[in-house]
Amino acid sequence: MEELDDLKSIWKQQAGFEAKNEGELLQMMGKSSNTIISKLKRSVWFELIFTVACILVLGMYTTTIPHGALMWTILSLLVLLISYTLYYVKKIMLLNHYDSSTDNLKANLRHLLERLDAYMKFYKRSYTILYPVFFVLGLLFGALESGFDRFIHKFENPLYTASFIILSIIFMVGVYTITNWYLKKLYGNHIEKLRTILDDLKD
Amino acid sequence: MAGEQERYFVNLVNEHQGLIHKVCNLYESDRDARNDLFQEIVLQLWKSFHTFRGDAKITTWMYRIALNTAISGLRKQKRGLQTEDLNERHFNFSETSTDDHEENLQKLQWSIRQLSEIERAIIMMALDEVPYDEIAETIGITQNNVRVRMNRIREKLRKLMNP
Repeated sequence: MEELDDLKSIWKQQAGFEAKNEGELLQMMGKSSNTIISKLKRSVWFELIFTVACILVLGMYTTTIPHGALMWTILSLLVLLISYTLYYVKKIMLLNHYDSSTDNLKANLRHLLERLDAYMKFYKRSYTILYPVFFVLGLLFGALESGFDRFIHKFENPLYTASFIILSIIFMVGVYTITNWYLKKLYGNHIEKLRTILDDLKD
Repeated sequence: MAGEQERYFVNLVNEHQGLIHKVCNLYESDRDARNDLFQEIVLQLWKSFHTFRGDAKITTWMYRIALNTAISGLRKQKRGLQTEDLNERHFNFSETSTDDHEENLQKLQWSIRQLSEIERAIIMMALDEVPYDEIAETIGITQNNVRVRMNRIREKLRKLMNP
């Protein structure tokens, strides 16, 4: 243990840090946080506001269109968006209750990973559902715009149908790849880092 | 104007800010990143101030939050000095002049920065004379595990400081 005492005596010599004064400390207390939980909270708030805005716009739009397939499609989309809104509210409440001061390091890392994993899974499930929904909606709007019969008639041409299928596959694969890349860039690398640290804590 | 609670908090942080600086120095090698981490730790301490029980040791509470913030935070991984730079120099504990003290300290800090995040947390608390039961509680491992890890850390530091 003599060696550790040597290290302690070296360690105790450090005093050369720039002490912050009371004014600086008070200022720091009012700044916004940059922890992963705070960033996550900001993302969820942004998504909540965006979803509510979509609900309002679509809700108003439904009052201007006649009863029919389009209205029922939009109403189904509204139900889906409302369920997302409920999820976001629940998520914000959970994130607000997150407190790193009550847990030890290991428990804190585990809880953080659970929350980030749940968020990533939700995202993946979301765009697995939403992208095809938006794609079909886009087609429906396109069909209604150009006349439904004319739109269906185009698919009688095998070349047109084949091109449509190929372009649809490229589009879907493209958006899934970009979203996966973006999520990995946003949280994926950090999750990996946290997992490695947590693994290091295994007895 | 700051309220009574703010003043009390600022006084506490002021009194123990050396602890926060040590955490920042060990987890960030870049000056700006260290300042950002310092600010984040102060902010997290303030947000969690309601959880601090007056009967508990303030340093234990501060270590827990400071380490949680530093280790779980989003930041780019940067290392301190390059290994080859330090391999050229030899570290000697027996020297006692001020310059050597400074060099020893720098070398110790550099060596600690080469350890894993968890090892850094353990050795920092051990060097600050935090008892093993408190280290175990802060990290979330057993006291026995702290002892085992300390042996490994000492071995690693010996190799790093005497290449």
